[in-house]
Amino acid sequence: MLGRTAANLFWLSRYVERAENMARLLEVGYRMSLTSRREGGASEHLISMMQAAEVDEGFDAKHEVADVDTVAHYMMFDPDNSSSVYSCLQAARTNARSVRTALTGDMWESMNGAWLEFSQIKPRDVRGAKLLGLLQWVKQRSHEFRGALLGTILRDDGFNFLQAGNFVERADNTARILDMKYYVLLPRATQVGGDLDIQQWTLILRAASAHRAYRHVYHDRYKAHNIADFLILRPEMPRSLIYCANFVQQNLDNLAKIYGRKEKCQEAADSLLALVEGASMEAIFADGLHEFLNEFIARNNRVTDTLSESYNFY
Amino acid sequence: MGEKTPFDEMYNPDGSVREPYRALAEWLAEQPDKGLALMQTDAEAIFRKLGITFAVYGSDEGTEKVIPFDVIPRIIAATEWRRLSKGIEQRVKALNAFLYDIYHRQEILKAGRIPEKLILNNEAFCPQMMGLEPAKGVYAHIIGVDIVRVGPDEFYVLEDNLRTPSGVSYMLEDREAMMLLAPDLFHRSKVAPVETYPENLRRTLESVAPESVRGTPNIAVLTPGIYNSAYFEHSFLADQMGAQLCEGPDLFVDGGKVYMRTTCGPEQVDVIYRRIDDDYLDPLTFRPDSMLGVPGLFDAYRAGNVTLVNAPGTGIADDKAVYTYVPDIIEFYLGEKALLSNVPTYNCTDEDQRAWVLENIADLVVKEVHGSGGYGMMVGPTSTKAMHAEFRKKIEARPDNYIVQPTLNLSTCPTHISGDVAPRHVDLRPYVLIGDEVRITPGGLTRVALKKGSLVVNSSQGGGTKDTWVLED
Amino acid sequence: MRIEIDHSLTCSLPPGAAALVMHLMLTPQSGPSQTVESWSVEAAGIGNAGRFRDGYGNAVHLVNQTRPEGDITIGARGMVVTQDTNGVLGKIAGEPVPSLYKRVTGLTRAPVTLYGKYRSAKDSRLDVLHGLMARVGETLGLREETEPMTQMQATGEQTQSQSTEPGPELPPTADYVHLFIGAARALDIPARYVCGYLAAGEGVAGGLHAWAEAYDDKLGWIGFDAQNQICPTERYVRLAVGLDAESALPLRTVPVGEIVQRAAVKAV
Repeated sequence: MLGRTAANLFWLSRYVERAENMARLLEVGYRMSLTSRREGGASEHLISMMQAAEVDEGFDAKHEVADVDTVAHYMMFDPDNSSSVYSCLQAARTNARSVRTALTGDMWESMNGAWLEFSQIKPRDVRGAKLLGLLQWVKQRSHEFRGALLGTILRDDGFNFLQAGNFVERADNTARILDMKYYVLLPRATQVGGDLDIQQWTLILRAASAHRAYRHVYHDRYKAHNIADFLILRPEMPRSLIYCANFVQQNLDNLAKIYGRKEKCQEAADSLLALVEGASMEAIFADGLHEFLNEFIARNNRVTDTLSESYNFY
Repeated sequence: MGEKTPFDEMYNPDGSVREPYRALAEWLAEQPDKGLALMQTDAEAIFRKLGITFAVYGSDEGTEKVIPFDVIPRIIAATEWRRLSKGIEQRVKALNAFLYDIYHRQEILKAGRIPEKLILNNEAFCPQMMGLEPAKGVYAHIIGVDIVRVGPDEFYVLEDNLRTPSGVSYMLEDREAMMLLAPDLFHRSKVAPVETYPENLRRTLESVAPESVRGTPNIAVLTPGIYNSAYFEHSFLADQMGAQLCEGPDLFVDGGKVYMRTTCGPEQVDVIYRRIDDDYLDPLTFRPDSMLGVPGLFDAYRAGNVTLVNAPGTGIADDKAVYTYVPDIIEFYLGEKALLSNVPTYNCTDEDQRAWVLENIADLVVKEVHGSGGYGMMVGPTSTKAMHAEFRKKIEARPDNYIVQPTLNLSTCPTHISGDVAPRHVDLRPYVLIGDEVRITPGGLTRVALKKGSLVVNSSQGGGTKDTWVLED
Repeated sequence: MRIEIDHSLTCSLPPGAAALVMHLMLTPQSGPSQTVESWSVEAAGIGNAGRFRDGYGNAVHLVNQTRPEGDITIGARGMVVTQDTNGVLGKIAGEPVPSLYKRVTGLTRAPVTLYGKYRSAKDSRLDVLHGLMARVGETLGLREETEPMTQMQATGEQTQSQSTEPGPELPPTADYVHLFIGAARALDIPARYVCGYLAAGEGVAGGLHAWAEAYDDKLGWIGFDAQNQICPTERYVRLAVGLDAESALPLRTVPVGEIVQRAAVKAV
């Protein structure tokens, strides 16, 4: 396989995942802005959501006021925002086009169809209830693509590059959401959170599609400790750091088997997993949640860098 | 010439149906109201979903269109095809012999059969190719010959395409779509297959691998990338014949050999089906500013370590000014008369001919010598007076830059036009593969001018395509 | 005459190049006027080079390096034994047809005033060519016979297109060659660019040099050095030929770098 093909597959998957994550974050921000009772509260929620998505600086440079319409437009359609759903889908499709022969027909049709449909939407037609519908649609197309991937592609090197991209991106996304809000998760004297805490916790859980799953796992009210535990260390939670790290490690292990040699990237993936495997929330809190998350993000980035090196991405 | 009724491939002048179209006529009569329109919608969806799009030059980057596909096939009788394919084979053999000669002893120039300057000072002539011995003596391995029909037995070659002829993927996909849309029509006719093309392409490419190659040659398709208008075709062909689709940066030269960068390290490439123009192929030898090519590729080719398909410099044989000499070329190398006629072509550098051309420009077709794809050309009868005046001036300024031909009354085929069936002008581009043997795919790509009365069939100018059926005996 | 040649080239690349590909035409070949006694080309990666003949018959090395660092240096040196042929090279087997060298390139155009008077002249081709050589000299100017030649001029640093410089006010060597070639081709005479070495002496500067060769149907190729107004002597060593200076360059690279070269050429 060409090194460029491997790179395209890896990034194709990353961008599909990122588009989905952006849609999910925007949905959370939008919901919270609707229920905010305080003056200026809507705007605050939207801004904090953009911080989690790391697009707040770009937004500030272009807009004075953060209201639902401008934020939604920036997150969905703005080509200047390299993480907007538009930019992600376009990048995903461009990558897909470059490696068409490495994709199955179903994957290509799903990707191409998603892009063609999305590119025909007129931003000004998407307001209010239509926005939620469209966000739902983005998530569904991402699921459809993943379904086509899992259902049709050969389990060869290409598959593992695709999967690695997906889970590296997801790990990054979860870690960043946590890091943006880590202070509301720190242990405090009072165990009972106020309204503001509850809102922030909800944002975190919803952004990881975890608000219902939380109840299934913990049968408990929202607690900072549990939320952190859920998104970092629970192996059954498909967006938790440990789950993603495990997946990445396995995919890279598969690549080592396929190519018959271990490279730097396998070491990097092992070290990513080592950070979360066998860790406890108590120890993480004791050493500093923020420091832990930063270390995780750095090790995760190193997986991408070494992967590019090991397999001649360029 | 424009007023004469064109030759209709389906109906005789008395309204009866011509033999090859009998099954189609019956089938058309059986189609329910709106049947064709529905089929047309389905076809569009099939093409769009498969991503069979092309980019239009000059439009916004990234705009992609589905090339219009007409659901009514164009039909060629077995006897007609036999005649055509013989003529095509003769032509491509002669053109390859011409290329060999031009890049070796230049006997045809010494014999004075073609003006020396026309070749030696031609931009398409590639001096770096001198003396090179290509595998099997073949320079142009993939040729598209544009043919038009003006009567029951009258075919003309409009031009030869020896650089990187495109469109073959449409030929293949048109057939796929047609089989999905109208399987019942196939049951009634014996249609020669075209699906063999990718396998034959692969065999052709393998047959011209460097002699040093042991085992199965490693084949790559070299594309300028996803923004090229024919990118779909490049990826399609690579996929269909199991070759690696590469862009320039995927390849590199080491020790005089060509390698691709793979996840397992370098892998040597033996044959490159390149869809990048000569100028951009290698910045070390050709345009130094090319970002698309592979530095050192031409030298590796010269060193005999890789085969380039088609060879650089083949464009000299499809130059529009050289075109007029093809009948002489055939006679010179094969000692035979040309089986397929050229369109009569006026030479504007000749004073008498130029005067006549300027006088009659409203009835003529003017083409730029180095133009292609319908750009830089004017069809007299369908152009305005202002256009006539503009081209008169252009010809007077640079008579050597234009060739002029009579307006050919292209044959028409029944075509689906918003629910109805109406005759539209068509041409034909059969695809020829030349390696260890000459392989011609039966039929080819039929392009159809969808505008009523229009004679310009290029997709960039609003033309569409049709599945082309060669009937078997 | 035994001539010792020491030709060194330095190529400064733009920083950060991932790879370097070089096309070297630094190998002279034996022929009617010269016998190459010994020759070597030194460059990093030369052992692994692709070797072939180009379309003009030159011996070429295709050399590549990954992550080239600093200035690239290349050396070509050896001993060539020459003999005086009065500039006549003759017909050489294995070379491309002479008519190839009727092709007009962007660099080889001459004004009609230069060659016009020979268009209908009854002179022999040889006389026409000598006439052209004189006209080119008159047109571009010549170095004063008495002007002393310094060692600097003999081996001084030169960029590729310059070759030996006649003097500060005079055009570069390549201009003389191109003008001669352009005029010859306009008269339907095949003419080519020769890049080579000139041993110092007889009032001419030595070092890298360039001259033209034109084709006569009877005699074959004949050399003309319009800058020095003579046909090549035994002091001339041929290195590479082409349609013009561009196609006869001793070194081409991707990425394009700045090339400085010097050649010490001594009769021994």
